[in-house]
Amino acid sequence: MTILDQQSSDSLPPENGLAIINSKAPFSSSHGKDALDIALIFGSFEQKISLFFQGDGVYQLINNQDGTLLSIKDYLKTFSAFEFYDIEDIYVCQQSLSNRQLGEDFHISDVQVLASIEFGAALNRHQHVLRF
Amino acid sequence: MKTLAVVITTPPYSPLTATAIAYVEAALVADISIVGVFFYQDGVMHANKDINIASDEYQAIAQWQRLHQTYQLPLHICITAAEKRGIACDSIDNEKINEVFTVSGLGELVEITTKALRLVQF
Repeated sequence: MTILDQQSSDSLPPENGLAIINSKAPFSSSHGKDALDIALIFGSFEQKISLFFQGDGVYQLINNQDGTLLSIKDYLKTFSAFEFYDIEDIYVCQQSLSNRQLGEDFHISDVQVLASIEFGAALNRHQHVLRF
Repeated sequence: MKTLAVVITTPPYSPLTATAIAYVEAALVADISIVGVFFYQDGVMHANKDINIASDEYQAIAQWQRLHQTYQLPLHICITAAEKRGIACDSIDNEKINEVFTVSGLGELVEITTKALRLVQF
């Protein structure tokens, strides 16, 4: 119940800006790269942008991956440039990590691991949502 | 005033397209101002003149054309996504592109998103 109480007190005022939900594994489709391109453009236009990783999307944050082994341009390396684009709000779903038996070993810092209900509440604070 | 931006990431042969078009038209009829429709990922295929869908199936492209002509609905395609899919945008007359679509970049997505109260993706 404490989380629920917290949520209701945290829910106002709403943040503006865009949330992007990443729900796909990094190298089996171009969704992750397509989402990254949007994030960087919003960042360079100084628009507020937050990134959410959920489902297989959490694999995009896991450390020690190398897309070049699959002849894929390793766009995950670009994640380390987020701070230069003022992309600071990066959330990952704890349930998605534990379902996949993944630890919190990420290749970028300042990732916030949130329980499902907090993850949803954080998402709710955004005006716009895109999902990839 | 109610403002809406729409992002289409599904191709013209996807059943979601019919839903998107019905949604967009319902919004227009309800006097909601649509700042723009942005076509990204496989959505850019809507602008490909060479797409030919069997005549007894849903004609998504003809519907976009109709919405554009009836309501002056702005339709933007992402140039990078289009060129990746063989829809060349670099020639002067953009001969592969259906003329109701405007060749744009992701900057346009920023533009319409910041102008709209709501953003809906199909």
